[in-house]
Amino acid sequence: MSAARDIVAGALCCIGTFFFLVGTTGLLRMPDVFTRLHPSTKCDTLGACSVIVGMAVYSGWSWELCKLVVIACFLLLSSATCGHAIGRSALRRNIPYWRRQGKETGDGNGA
Amino acid sequence: MKRVLSLFFIAALGVLLLYVVASMPPMGDPQTPTATHVIPRYLERAEEETHTENVITGVILNYRGYDTMGEVTVIFCALAAVLAVLGRERRGRIRGFVDRSPVPSSTIVRTMVRFMVPFIILFSVYTILHGEISPGGGFQGGAIIGGSMIIFTTVFGLYESSRRIPQKVRAPLEGSAVIVFFLVGALGLVGGGNFLTYAWPHAARGLQPALVTWLTVLVEVGIGLGGAMVLISILFAMIREEEEIALTA
Repeated sequence: MSAARDIVAGALCCIGTFFFLVGTTGLLRMPDVFTRLHPSTKCDTLGACSVIVGMAVYSGWSWELCKLVVIACFLLLSSATCGHAIGRSALRRNIPYWRRQGKETGDGNGA
Repeated sequence: MKRVLSLFFIAALGVLLLYVVASMPPMGDPQTPTATHVIPRYLERAEEETHTENVITGVILNYRGYDTMGEVTVIFCALAAVLAVLGRERRGRIRGFVDRSPVPSSTIVRTMVRFMVPFIILFSVYTILHGEISPGGGFQGGAIIGGSMIIFTTVFGLYESSRRIPQKVRAPLEGSAVIVFFLVGALGLVGGGNFLTYAWPHAARGLQPALVTWLTVLVEVGIGLGGAMVLISILFAMIREEEEIALTA
C-alpha cells in the first residue's frame, strides 16, 4: 500500500516536473508575447498542480493535505489572473503578433 | 565559428565547475569543518539555551544577535538613504482612484488583488509569529507584507495604498526593528544578564523559558513590522504622481 502510494506520488511529481520543463523551454523558444504566454501558463496550472496532487497523495489524510489544497487554490487563482493581466495588457498595447517572414523569422523579441 | 567557440567555452566552464563540485566534501558530511565546529553545539544546546524550537531563529536572534541587529540597522539605513535622495512620496493632486497606465486595469485583476491581499497579510502574520518554531520569521514576514502592498499599489495606485498605510503610521514604525531589538537587548542588561541574551539570571527559574521565548517573539514582530514599513516607504518614495500627471495631461 505504502509502496504503491509512493510510486503514484513520484509519478505525479515527475509529470509536474515534465510540464515545468516543457513550459520553460516554450518560454525561452517561442517568438512573441502571446505564444510565450501559452506555454508559461501551463507551468503553474498543469506542472505545479501535478506536483501538489503528488504531494497530497504522498501525505495522505492529514493537515498537510489541507494546506496543499489551499496552496493549490491560491496558485490556480493567482496564476490565471497573472496570465490574464499579461495577455490583456499586451493586446491593448497593440503588440504585433509574430508572423513567419520568409527567411527572416524576426529577432525573437516580438515587439 | 562563433557558435563552436561559445560551445567550447561553455563546455570548458561546465567541466571546471563540475571539477570544483566534485572536489567539495559531500553534502551533509559530518567530517567537514562546518559540521564539526559550532554546529553540533547549536543543534544540541540551542533549544535549552535559546528556548526556540527553530534552531535557525535561535542562531539568528540569539547566538548571532549582534549580527542581526547590524543587519536591521543596514535596512534602516537603506531607507534613510532612499528618503534622503528621493524624499517622501508625493501624491498627485487628483484624489481617489486614478488609473495612469496606458492600459486600464481589468476588473478581474482588481477583484483578485482585493481578494488576495488580506490572505497574503494573514500569511505574513503567521510567518512572523511562527518563526520561532517553524521556518519563517520577521524578515520573511515583513517582506511578504511589503510584497502584498507592492501588488496593491501597482493595481490601485499610490493614493489608495498610501491612504491605507498613511505616512503618520509608517514613520514611527519604520525604525521599530532597530528600536525593539535594542530595547529587548537592553532588557537583558536590566535583568542582570548580558546584552541580547534575553535571559534574566535573577528571574525565577520557571519563568526563564517563557521570558526568553516571548522576548524573541517580540523581536520578530518588531523586525517584521519595521521591515514591511521600510519596503513600503521605499516603494512609495519611488512613485512620482505629480510628474506623471504633468506628462499625460
